[in-house]
Amino acid sequence: MLADLCAQTVQVGQPGLAQLNSATPTLAALSSLALSHFLMTGAILFVLGLIGFVTRRNLIIMFLCTEMMFQGVVISLVAFALFHGNVTGQTFVIFVLTIAAAEAALALGLVVLLFRRRRTLDAGAWSAMSG
Amino acid sequence: MPTAILLFLASVLGAIALVLLMPRPGRNLRPVGALLAVTALGGGWLAVALRGDLLKHLMEETLGLPSVAFAYYYVFSFIAIAAAVRVITHSRPVYSALWFIMVVLASAGLLLVLSAEFMAFAMVIIYGGAILVTYMFVIMLASQNEPEHEDDIPAYDRYAREPLWACAAGFLLLAVLLSVYYSPNAVAANPDAAMATDSEIIATHLADRALKADGSNSELASSPSASPTTVSNVERIGLDLFESHPLAIELAGVILLVALIGAVVIAKTHVPNEDEAIRAEANAKEAV
Repeated sequence: MLADLCAQTVQVGQPGLAQLNSATPTLAALSSLALSHFLMTGAILFVLGLIGFVTRRNLIIMFLCTEMMFQGVVISLVAFALFHGNVTGQTFVIFVLTIAAAEAALALGLVVLLFRRRRTLDAGAWSAMSG
Repeated sequence: MPTAILLFLASVLGAIALVLLMPRPGRNLRPVGALLAVTALGGGWLAVALRGDLLKHLMEETLGLPSVAFAYYYVFSFIAIAAAVRVITHSRPVYSALWFIMVVLASAGLLLVLSAEFMAFAMVIIYGGAILVTYMFVIMLASQNEPEHEDDIPAYDRYAREPLWACAAGFLLLAVLLSVYYSPNAVAANPDAAMATDSEIIATHLADRALKADGSNSELASSPSASPTTVSNVERIGLDLFESHPLAIELAGVILLVALIGAVVIAKTHVPNEDEAIRAEANAKEAV
């Protein structure tokens, strides 16, 4: 699947490892065109999440939309990781997932708290907090 | 600059489509909105293709066999975007959460196309399995009774807030982002894009395995570990994580612990129901 996304195939030989190299598959980087496709999908997901966060008034859906923005960022990160031939982009996704999990736990706890107080999930019910 | 104009047109079209798709009082224009949205997405993809060598791209697309990954890309990202639109336009929160699971699955498919297998499955397990289950629990917990008719849905779920301005702002941001991505030579082909080859990683980090390949160490050679000459995606990520970011992963653990304690504290807080409190106060006054 990777072979057709490649702009260039790279094979680095190392002295003394000839027998390893013979069996090593070639590694490919993402082409610029393929990168722009993935970045576009990531950007669209991010923007849809942003619009959802602004337009929806249900507190739970608003937090769901922030998770959708994370999805867009994750796709961009992994695409850049393959484009630059650097695994750190993929590693960073782990930290994104960590923050998403922590955010879900805290935000949903707060939502339940707010719901118990006012018996509604409407964000407008708390507009007095905007001062 | 046909590419830039096409991108802006696609963005404007997408914004109009999303405004039409938003839940609103009055006439239902959703089919028109869906049609416009598909057109906008197609226009966006056409603009991207125009940026590259369109003819070559189309040749690969239709004739060449090696573009299977691109076919997967189009399928998965169409599913992801369509499901994302459904998440923000559906008036029932439970269905929004279910559509979001579809977004997660489709973007996991996109990560598979990018050969990030570990991340794809981690996304499915953590997002689809853990975070979304929490969301579903809270949605169930916070809805008094499942509405049977469309009119029973509370108004804050039925109507979008300021859909016009939100879509205008959002798609303006999208147009700017895309025009930065696609301005000529902004993202030129990376000259030194070369992931460390498997043999390099084995030579520098996994010395045991090189020995195993030699067959000189019989004990290692008989161990049932992975192939001696290839490094999987999981191994690459593990090496990068613990070689380059050991402090960050500790901090991630601390953040999770803090979130756990915070969630427990929040859950234990006693909250008086304001309605009941006001009613009790009024009753007390009447009694006096």
